[in-house]
Amino acid sequence: MRRLLAVAAVAAASRADADPLRLRADALSTTAAPAGLLTLEADGSPGPGLAAEAVVWTGSLADQARGDVLVIALRAHTADGRASGRIGRFVESLGALRPIHVDGAAGRVYLPLQLAVEAYAGVPVVPGLATARAWSWATGGRIARGLGDAGSIGVAYTQQRDDGRLTSEELGIDAGTALGKSDDLGAKLAYDLANPGIAEVTASASHRSGALRSELYVSHRAASHLLPATSLFSVLGDVPAERAGAVATWRCAPRLDLVADLGARRVDRDVAPELVVRARLRLDDLGTSALTGELRRDGVGSDMWTGARGAARIALPHALAVTTELELVIPDHDRGLGAVWPWGLAALAWDDGTWQAAVAVEASASPQDRRRVDVLGQLSRRWGSR
Amino acid sequence: MRRRALVICLALTACAGVLGLSRSGPQPFPHRKHATAGIACTRCHVGIDASPSTLHLPDDTACTTCHTKPHNQGACLGCHAAPGALAELAEARDHLVFDHAVHAAPSRGDCMRCHVGIADGDDHLRPPMATCFRCHDHDAARDARRCDACHRGLEDTRLLPQSHLAHDGDWMREHGTRAAASGDSCQSCHRESFCADCHGKTAPALPATRRFADPFGASVHRAGFTARHSLEARAEPGACTTCHSPDRCAACHTSRGVAGDQRRSPHPPGWVGPAAADNEHGRQARRDPVACASCHDGAGQSLCVGCHKVGGVGGTPHPPGWSSRLPMGALPCRLCHTPGRSP
Repeated sequence: MRRLLAVAAVAAASRADADPLRLRADALSTTAAPAGLLTLEADGSPGPGLAAEAVVWTGSLADQARGDVLVIALRAHTADGRASGRIGRFVESLGALRPIHVDGAAGRVYLPLQLAVEAYAGVPVVPGLATARAWSWATGGRIARGLGDAGSIGVAYTQQRDDGRLTSEELGIDAGTALGKSDDLGAKLAYDLANPGIAEVTASASHRSGALRSELYVSHRAASHLLPATSLFSVLGDVPAERAGAVATWRCAPRLDLVADLGARRVDRDVAPELVVRARLRLDDLGTSALTGELRRDGVGSDMWTGARGAARIALPHALAVTTELELVIPDHDRGLGAVWPWGLAALAWDDGTWQAAVAVEASASPQDRRRVDVLGQLSRRWGSR
Repeated sequence: MRRRALVICLALTACAGVLGLSRSGPQPFPHRKHATAGIACTRCHVGIDASPSTLHLPDDTACTTCHTKPHNQGACLGCHAAPGALAELAEARDHLVFDHAVHAAPSRGDCMRCHVGIADGDDHLRPPMATCFRCHDHDAARDARRCDACHRGLEDTRLLPQSHLAHDGDWMREHGTRAAASGDSCQSCHRESFCADCHGKTAPALPATRRFADPFGASVHRAGFTARHSLEARAEPGACTTCHSPDRCAACHTSRGVAGDQRRSPHPPGWVGPAAADNEHGRQARRDPVACASCHDGAGQSLCVGCHKVGGVGGTPHPPGWSSRLPMGALPCRLCHTPGRSP
């Protein structure tokens, strides 16, 4: 029996490693910017333990052709998965520290005692041919300790330098744990070592009980610590923005979900309530047709606003679907920019699993444009199982 | 009165149907009815315990062995199976490494040992992972975050975590906190481009723009975000820099003609002046220094230094008790603190 199990496992593993090359091409055209956009995505596994991925795009904006690479990365891992590495252009997210888009390399090793060590080094990704940047290279690492099935805790460190000058140095502490089957806790803290002070703290605790999920959250962010230490604006001190609240998600009927988010924000001396109420109704068992409605009260100080949003997707025969999305925003103080900012989009989409196509009309009135109507078109093609 | 009661009954029935409280259309397969009739699972699921065995559903032949006079010509499972169950099976067939034959002997042919609750309906034919771990030790795979021993191509599935890290509620806000300690778990299902779609400096357009026909897709900056972006930015100072470099504001505003025009100031009256009442810029700069930096960083800092250098009319911009590890000769200290002079 053991031999049979081993043969089955090997056969299964070889099937998993033999993923085909997957490709996707997306063409987007709008009468607003970007006027035209072509995105090509590819990923595949050139060999056991290897995976490669690339996303490139080209587009035209105001008669100017542009193009760039979003991701181009090669990943490799050992047969037992205990060591892995990445090289290329990717987003590095190191525990509690802010994710950064780098051209570089990263690696991770899982050690005994549920320890994990990861490190990265890279140079910043700068869009197009621009040269403006806050730092010229960065490096960092994280050590984490697993807590069995319960979660993990970790400590991360990173520093960024520009021509040898320290522009950012941060220490991060993260923790995530699952208490039993229904409770999750997560928290992270980023501490600015260059200008000593807390840059960001967030924490979230959730509980599930049948059809009801509830979550408590808090966040604290000091914007001055998010700037490079070489910026003059980093010397203005800490005026944190804070947010706390509770969210309840209730599946009150098999096809109906209700979400309520009640919280408060504080920025400097301004404190304001925050309220979101959302309902989503699936019109069939798979949710291919659905409706949603949302009311929101948000903002702080003189920037408070009230909003309503509704969206619908109705599946039609022949892989067609009609979708629409409407939004109304009413600022408390219009400042001469309009009392109501409506936005709407109506689209007809088609998806046969390989080809996707959609056309839409988008209309809005906003502080930026008193009246605006745009037409959008999209065509996509997939190869492989992507 | 009777008509009103009839209308109310019809309305309640319609609501029950819409909300999914009463099922219309395809019904869950009555496993319980078959089991209590003493019909062995393998009588319908023929060959499921023979190797190699792919995940499958019985075809009409299995049904018509007993139900010799079908009530219509359609496929049996077209009506007698929950649509979700069929989709779940198709997904599992493509992405799950599993062989019933391997499990037949250890379970001694007792299908219910894993398919607990199947008698209650077929909404969830697939046992939860916790059922697998009752027998299979997965500590090594868990510690190395290797899911591919059982899952194939998780990136292509539409599976969401069922218990921990469940992506419900306001996951868009929550994911940063959760991913901090579980980033390696995220990579089990998400490719590099998934993060880069929003956090990448070279992202050409957000997912909400690229997939405009999907109003239910999770994405930041949905709907009319352009209209309300200034309100949201001021309510969450610094949040924009999670993805955008500070100069992104200036670049976009300049291209739209909102900023970059040296002839007029975008600031309101009372922004800068000789009296304290005319110096709103100080309060706003402390609230959101990132917003100031988006236009005035780099060479633009000279505008601030003109008044706020040591001995200048603007006084010190530092709050009480402010300190820094940077030497006085480093940037930005040396902009105001001229080397050789008292601080």
